[in-house]
Amino acid sequence: MNPLEELRAEYRAELPAKLAHLKTLLEQRSYGDLQRALHTLAGSAGTFGLPAVGEAAREAEACCASGDTARLAALIDAIGSKAASAP
Amino acid sequence: MASGLVYMHSGAANVELTGARTALSPAEIELLVLIDGKTGCDELARRAAPLAEADVKKALEKLVRAGYIVPAADVTSAGIDPGDFFSTADQGVASLKKNGYFVCIAHAAAPRKPVKDEKLSLLVVEDDEQLAKLVRTYFKMEGFETRIAGSRAALEAALREARPDVVLLDVMLPDADGLDLLAAIRKHPAVKDVPVVMMTAKSTRESVLQGIKRGANGYVTKPFNVDVLLKAVKSVLGVK
Repeated sequence: MNPLEELRAEYRAELPAKLAHLKTLLEQRSYGDLQRALHTLAGSAGTFGLPAVGEAAREAEACCASGDTARLAALIDAIGSKAASAP
Repeated sequence: MASGLVYMHSGAANVELTGARTALSPAEIELLVLIDGKTGCDELARRAAPLAEADVKKALEKLVRAGYIVPAADVTSAGIDPGDFFSTADQGVASLKKNGYFVCIAHAAAPRKPVKDEKLSLLVVEDDEQLAKLVRTYFKMEGFETRIAGSRAALEAALREARPDVVLLDVMLPDADGLDLLAAIRKHPAVKDVPVVMMTAKSTRESVLQGIKRGANGYVTKPFNVDVLLKAVKSVLGVK
């Protein structure tokens, strides 16, 4: 495996932990930190070969920014689904 | 240039705004980004300040001659729906983003020729450790000497340590706004000429414009393809 593929694999392996962190921030209603974490995920997932994860994170980030927190739990679950079903 | 005349993009403008490299000047790019098919020339000149009105006029004339913009009236009188043109750039950006790509604009800076066997040096200012590591690994494979700074303090320390050939600068850092850092770099006598490529998840006209206005040489939106990031870096460095 070349070094870039190794880093991509590492990124994928760490996604469950990132997702758990997002859920914790949501439970704590730390919306500022949550928005930042979603922003980071949205900006990097596509580069690591997971564009659908990035899109879902972007949508959740927009909800955080607009104060539409009611949909956040479902959107964070959607990020997990996209990650699980990524090729 | 009539003060109320409204210009809009041609297809060539959208290619230019989403291409890996442009030969247009920063002033011309700035106007190209500002032009939205609705705003008159007088308002454009106001928004493009501190560009002098004469420079705005010259840049607009050049953009017209080069076929990047056309008077909106010409399009409407020809029976073409201007809405198609007005939204082309935004549709292009949306399409690129949907496909996991990017918006990239790069201006060549004054090229520095490395002496024999000397590597070009890159400073990656990015707080996402995994992304920074991926960029560093890729550029190292491409023959660059690469350092990482994850915060304002780390950037300042890295610049004090050695002047890089190019900086890749994230717009949103935990302890600073990347655009403010760009402005600070441009004011510092020791590093003001260092080419800076901004990396950001914001791909709106306004955010592109902010980067260009504050002196960015390139602008790449996240998520990006590392191959294209390399192209942008090489473009601003003037190397192949």
